Amino acid sequence: MGVTCVSQMPVAEGKSVQQTVEILTRKLELLGAEKQGTFCVDCETYHTAASTMGNQGQAGKLMYVMHNSEYPLSCFALFENGPCLIADANFDILMVKLKGFFQNAKANKIESRGTRYQYCDFLVKVGTVTMGPSARGISVEVEYCPCVVANDCWNLLMEFMQSFMGNHTPGIPSVFGNKHDSIYSPADSMVQYMELFNKIRKQQQYFQ
Amino acid sequence: MADGVLSPGVNLEAFSQAIAAIQALRSSVTRAFDCLKDGMRHRETLEGREKSFVSAFQDSLHSVSRDLGELERLSNLVGKPSENHPLHNSGLLSLDPVQDKTPLYSQLLQAYKWSNKLQYHAGLASGLLNQQSLKRSANQMGVSAKRRPKAQPTTLVLPPQYVDDVINRIDRMFPEMSIQLSRPNGTSAMLLVTLGKVLKVIVVMRSLFIDRTIVKGYNENVYTEDGKLDIWSKSNYQVFQKVTDHATTALLHYQLPQMPDVVVRSFMTWLRSYIKLFQAPCQRCGKFLQDGLPPTWRDFRTLEAFHDTCRQ
Repeated sequence: MGVTCVSQMPVAEGKSVQQTVEILTRKLELLGAEKQGTFCVDCETYHTAASTMGNQGQAGKLMYVMHNSEYPLSCFALFENGPCLIADANFDILMVKLKGFFQNAKANKIESRGTRYQYCDFLVKVGTVTMGPSARGISVEVEYCPCVVANDCWNLLMEFMQSFMGNHTPGIPSVFGNKHDSIYSPADSMVQYMELFNKIRKQQQYFQ
Repeated sequence: MADGVLSPGVNLEAFSQAIAAIQALRSSVTRAFDCLKDGMRHRETLEGREKSFVSAFQDSLHSVSRDLGELERLSNLVGKPSENHPLHNSGLLSLDPVQDKTPLYSQLLQAYKWSNKLQYHAGLASGLLNQQSLKRSANQMGVSAKRRPKAQPTTLVLPPQYVDDVINRIDRMFPEMSIQLSRPNGTSAMLLVTLGKVLKVIVVMRSLFIDRTIVKGYNENVYTEDGKLDIWSKSNYQVFQKVTDHATTALLHYQLPQMPDVVVRSFMTWLRSYIKLFQAPCQRCGKFLQDGLPPTWRDFRTLEAFHDTCRQ
């Protein structure tokens, strides 16, 4: 897995989510990127059940169970600031068995779906983030496949993102700061997606 | 006359005389046959006619044989046709009158002139190229087996222990570069050079000369399914395919037949500059990306980073 940066693209003024996605994809195609299928990243939220709280009165932890179409046989489970577990796809069934300890907040299911583009050694995924039936935002994931050390190629990634995202190029993701010189792993992408989804969920709360 | 010197050209005078002799021969033969046909008319007695007929016929036969002897003498003088045809028998194609439908002769002449010119230029080029000795093998081209030196140059048959020692010393030279040596296929060494967490290079050697290199990404698999080093498959990433081409250029550039360990050292020093493959911008245009590729070219002397299209 190469170094990946996941960011949100704000919806253009006076345009819908769909139209902004179309503008982005057209810019990518002008650059010379080739469409290579679709992708889907989804995230389900689980609360720790009240019965296991005990006397400590601590706030329930939120656990996120995520899937990524790039890794179809895997399932990612992570806590907000905690470790990320990469498990088999059967983990979902295990969660059903653990109903007593973790309860699924079905209304919070959020996913990003869209097309996958390849440009030279870059992989770009532009997706529409939906929660339920409504589209809430746009996610842009850029992966530079040959490099595995995060901080090495940040400048390169940024230059590439500027070429099609313009002023909306994001800053360095927080996971990069913790990596130092270790090898980038898929769990880091999922942490970025989790942060993005949480941000989008919070945004919409203001517009309700 | 027949066994004299072969005249290079046609003896034109003898030729014309021979043609005249043919005409004389023809006329005397015709006279002989006319004499036979007409017979003798204006003699009274049969004997007289017979005698005059026989004498007339004898005269005509004499003239025939005389003319034939003359023709034979002249035909020996004429000589062989000129050997100056540039294409010998194919020159006879020029006698074909239908030039626009089958322009064989003119095309043939052009092809011949072209191949002559090509041979001449190739001779000049080989003379110029031989001045600069770029040979990487022991064989000498165009020298017969008898004159080929019996012993190969000493740098091509080095003991494997020496090669191991040189490689180990180079391994210790740079901290971020590690070299693994193996000999899965006979005596040629195969090196797996790992440069930081950026790339892996497979170097196939021939005694202490570098034969071939393949550059792959750090996370790519360099082993085949049997667990042996995969020396043939290319990288999946365009940037490393480009770096492979540059590495091949480098191993042809660094050449010193008498001191191969210096060559290997220079090549490894050049390779080490790729530790900053993704971090260094191009020295010429200042950008990181050009057509989606980072600066993949490293100058051979200064080790500065350039895009492939930006290098001078």
